[in-house]
Formats: sequence, C-alpha cells, structure tokens
Amino acid sequence: MNLTVNGVDTTIESGPLTSLLDVLREELGITSAKAGCEQGGCGACTVLVNGASRRSCLTPVASIDGAAVTTVEGLGSPEHMSPVQQAFTHHYAAQCGFCTSGMMMAAQAYIEGGGSDDHEAIQEALGGHVCRCTGYVKIIDAVAAVARGESFDLSVTAAGTAMTNIGGMA
Amino acid sequence: MKAVGARVPRYDGIAHATGRTVFVDDVRIPGTLWVKAFRSPVHNAMMTNLDTSKAEAMKGVHVITSESVPLLEYGHLSALGIPADEPLLAKDEVRYLGQPIAVVAAPSEEAAMAAVAAITADFEEQPALFDVRKAFDADAPVIHDKGNWYTHFEDEMDRRQIRKGNIEEAFDRADLIVQGVYRPAAIEHAPIETQVCQVVPEANGRLTIYSCTQALYFSMGVVAAHLQLPLNKLKVVGGTVGGGFGGKVDTATETMCALLAQKSGKPVKWRWTREEEFLCSSTRAPWHMEVADAVTKDGWILGRKMLTLHDAGAYSRFSPYGLTKHSFHHTGAYSIPNLEFNGYVVYTNRTPTTAMRGFGVTSVSFATETHMSRIALELGIDPFELRLKNANRIGDTSPNQIPYTDPSTVPTILAIADAVGHDLTPEYAGMTPAPRSGDLLPEHLVGQLGNPEAH
Ligand code: FES
Ligand code: FES
Repeated sequence: MNLTVNGVDTTIESGPLTSLLDVLREELGITSAKAGCEQGGCGACTVLVNGASRRSCLTPVASIDGAAVTTVEGLGSPEHMSPVQQAFTHHYAAQCGFCTSGMMMAAQAYIEGGGSDDHEAIQEALGGHVCRCTGYVKIIDAVAAVARGESFDLSVTAAGTAMTNIGGMA
Repeated sequence: MKAVGARVPRYDGIAHATGRTVFVDDVRIPGTLWVKAFRSPVHNAMMTNLDTSKAEAMKGVHVITSESVPLLEYGHLSALGIPADEPLLAKDEVRYLGQPIAVVAAPSEEAAMAAVAAITADFEEQPALFDVRKAFDADAPVIHDKGNWYTHFEDEMDRRQIRKGNIEEAFDRADLIVQGVYRPAAIEHAPIETQVCQVVPEANGRLTIYSCTQALYFSMGVVAAHLQLPLNKLKVVGGTVGGGFGGKVDTATETMCALLAQKSGKPVKWRWTREEEFLCSSTRAPWHMEVADAVTKDGWILGRKMLTLHDAGAYSRFSPYGLTKHSFHHTGAYSIPNLEFNGYVVYTNRTPTTAMRGFGVTSVSFATETHMSRIALELGIDPFELRLKNANRIGDTSPNQIPYTDPSTVPTILAIADAVGHDLTPEYAGMTPAPRSGDLLPEHLVGQLGNPEAH
C-alpha cells in the first residue's frame, strides 16, 4: 500500500486493517494525531484524507490506499505557520493541546471548503470534536477569524519558544 | 498585575499549534512492551485462586501481582503520617469494579490482551454499598476492615468537625429553621488524554518515568515508597498533561509500569483505553450535604448546623484533605457566627474518588448558594439582598476563625446583579466590604469579629 503523507510518497508496511492512526503514530512516527478514544467519539485523531477530514482511528489503512493524507505537521512549521495555526496561537485556542491537532484539521477542512465566520456553521463543522479545557469559545473565535481573512500579530502571543517539557526544543 | 487583561506569550503555544508538543504517548522508545491490566469484574468480593501461570508461560509476557510489590500499601497522604488503606494491587479482596489485580507487559497490545484473558481468579461476591447515606445503617454491609468511614482525622477522630459560637442559643433565638439536602453527583474528569505512562530501565540502574501526572513529586514519592527505592533511582519526566482537572494527581499507572520495567528489563508503556478511563479512573466525589440554618425574619442567619458525607469510594486517597477544605468553606461566602459542622469521609464500593477543580469546595458552594436562595424564597426577601446582607466583610471571621482582610463577596454579588440587570435599592447598590457597623453590625455578629491586623 502507498500513501502520500504531507506531500511525501510513502510505502506502508502495516497490515491492511491497521487503523490510519496507528500507521501514522506507530509506523511513521507522526504523532500529532492523538488516540483519545480510538472509537470515533472525540475527534483527536482527525486528519485530512484527500482534503476531507477523517477520524484516523476508524479508518482501516487499506480503505484509503493511494490517498493523500495531511496532518498538522503538513499545515506548517513553527517558522511558517498556516493561517489556522496562527489563529489558534493568537486566540489561545489550545490549552493542554491534546485536542488541538484534530480541531485544527477539522478547521482546515472547513476553511478550504469556503466556510464563513458564522458561529453556528463553525460549531456544526467542529461537532464531535471534544475539548475538555477551553470551553470552545476561543476555538470558534480562531476559526471565525481565519474565515474573515484576518492576519495575526504573533509577537505578543507566540513569543515563547516551541519548547515542551518532555521533548525539549521541538 | 501586569498580565491581567494583557496578551501574554504562551511558552507552549507554537508547539501545540504545530503538533510538536511531545505528550507521554508521543515519546518514541523502540522495543517497548505494552501493558494491560486484569481488573476486578465485580464491586465487592473475596478473591481466591488467582492464577497467572498461563499468562506467564506466554512468550515475552511479564506479570506482576500483589506479591511483586515490595511495599503493597502506601497512601497518597502517608507522607503526612496518615495510615495507608489501599493496596497497589488487590490481594485477597476487591472493593471496586475495575480494581487492578494483576498487570502484564507483552510485546504487542494484542499479546497483552491475550495474556490478561488467560488470567483467572475466583470471586465470592459480597453485598456492595453505593449510597453514603446507608453506610451508617445498622444493617449496612461493612466494606472496610476498619468500618465504613475514615477514622484518622487529628487525634484519631472519625470526623472533621467545626464548632464556633453557641449553636444552641442561635437555634433557640431563630424565627424559623430552613433546611435543605444537597447531593451533587460524581463527575468523570474525562481528559482527552487518557492515563498514560512509559517507563525505561536505564543502564545505570535508574528508571526513567514519563508521566502525565499533575503532581510530579507526589508521584515520585509514591513510586519510590512502593518499590522501596531511594529517590535518586527515579527520574520522572512530566509537565506535559493532556488535560487533568484533578484526575491525574493520583498515581494511577507509574508504579505498576515501574515494577514491570524492573521485572522485564525492557521499556514499557501503558495507555488506558477510553473504557478504562471511564470505568476505572477516579472521579469527583458524590456528596451528601444536610444544612439547617437558624434564620431571623429580617434575613440574618444566626447559626448553621451541617452534616456532610463525602463519598471516598473504595479507598481514602486524598478525600480527607478534600473534606477538610470543604469544612473551612461550609458557610460559603457569608458570615454565620454560630456553627456546628460534622463531616465524614465514607467508604463505598465506588471507584475511589479524588480531586477535581476546586477540590471539596464546589460541592459546598453548590449547597450553600442553593440554600441562600431557598432562605430568600421562604422569607420573601430579594436573594441578592439576602446575600449582600450576610456577605463576608473585612474583620468577619471564617468558620475556622481566620479574620478576612479582603473578602470579595460584596463586589462579586454586585457585579452579578449588574450583569443580569437586577435592580437593587440604593442601600445595597452602594455596599462595600468595609468593616461592619450600624445596621450591618447586629448584636449577634459582634462576638465573631476578628482583628484583620493580627494576621
Ligand atoms: S481517537 Fe479517533 S475519534 Fe477519538
Ligand atoms: S485544549 Fe485540552 S482538550 Fe482541548
């Protein structure tokens, strides 16, 4: 099997029924997609498959053989963040950060699909993505800001390094 | 106060937004064994014939039971001299559904599940207790060897109690007694990151523990005590928590993973499933609170009698601490000069309960605020004005006799009234937290005043 993961052609060795989540995390070492429930209930594992948001925990890899897969790593880097990544940073839309990757991929699909800044439409698009920290308001604000085409001054919100306690400098 | 209202940088903001934050489950360690648990299938039972031999015979499988633990019982408050009541792994009895009995490490998740499926034990079920109100009944099942409630408050008291003023006189003088019973339910923290841990046995004999704990040094001490190791044999790497809300202060996985890493000589990883998180991880306690207030017709609260039953679940863990905080807050944000509070930490066969945002205090806030509204309704007094009248002011004292120097009740209630567009009479609208005087210092409140300068 083959996938194009964040633009890179990749041969997949895992068995055909292996979940896309396990392929990404365990075979390819791409860890932004999280295992929050592994049963389709939380959205933390969401990635884009041919541009559409999909729960990777419920996607047997064989069912998307040949597809293009995008994860948060494929949206942008710390030096060149995408508009969705900038908006999430500027609006403090991530607290613990565990739901954030899935949220941003769903937001990316919404924006690419021409989504507006209408809060109800954003809520609908992010439905089924569970966040236990933020209370959602900042997430919806961030997505609405991208939909309006706003630009973000990260000098006051993102001056910190991309350091994490466990990983050291990312 | 420079940060209040200002936009400040987040040290981990970019890492979160670019998927680079390394959570415990994201640490890549080659050759890691998967961990799974054999858990109690029943709420309360005597256990015999635990047999792990079939699992141990499986290729690459390592098993630990209660016999593998150097110090089986060690409590989260043991360092404070409070006796432990919970074994790391169940020995002869199980007291809650999902209690870990044996834990395995195997080369894959599937192999670990197969090993757990090969473990057997016999359970002789006993009647289980789920309602704290029934714990004191003569015919209640006794579910703990020392009885149904915790008995180790100071001087080996079996309850947390507060006495202030003269409660009998307050009830004699009351125009009416307003009573209420309040029972907030258990709540699961439900972090999106389930309990997870990785432990690596290092060549120098140390164990490196990647932990999602909210209380790193607590966890380090607990692991060291169970394993009977000096602290310098442990390197705990933490600080990146995928949501905790109090549910990650108990040391849920680290000790068992450390034992399996020692036994196997290999790195191990335990990531709880969502089912385990809901069924086996600790919750916020359910509470049973009974309040009776001695009240005057014009809206003064002369005295409060309160009984709290704090449901600890099967073991006490941090519950005595939670109940203590609860007791200090049992008048809410209001000054009540005469008090009789009794609180018990009660054992049931629920999953052990633990801290959750505002440990011990949200429950009592729910009870006291609901009760304030109930008093206002019974007296036909505006609920805002009732609160403002009895609000804590500078110089008032807390239930445990601490004078307030900067109480925020008055400005908070005024802000709420403003936010919901509730009109107040000028007398109340202009209120401040200044020390009591005049109409706001009736005779019954004189005796409780403290000296804020003294603290
Ligand atoms: S991990 Fe896929 S939806 Fe929760
Ligand atoms: S930021 Fe923690 S779950 Fe969403």
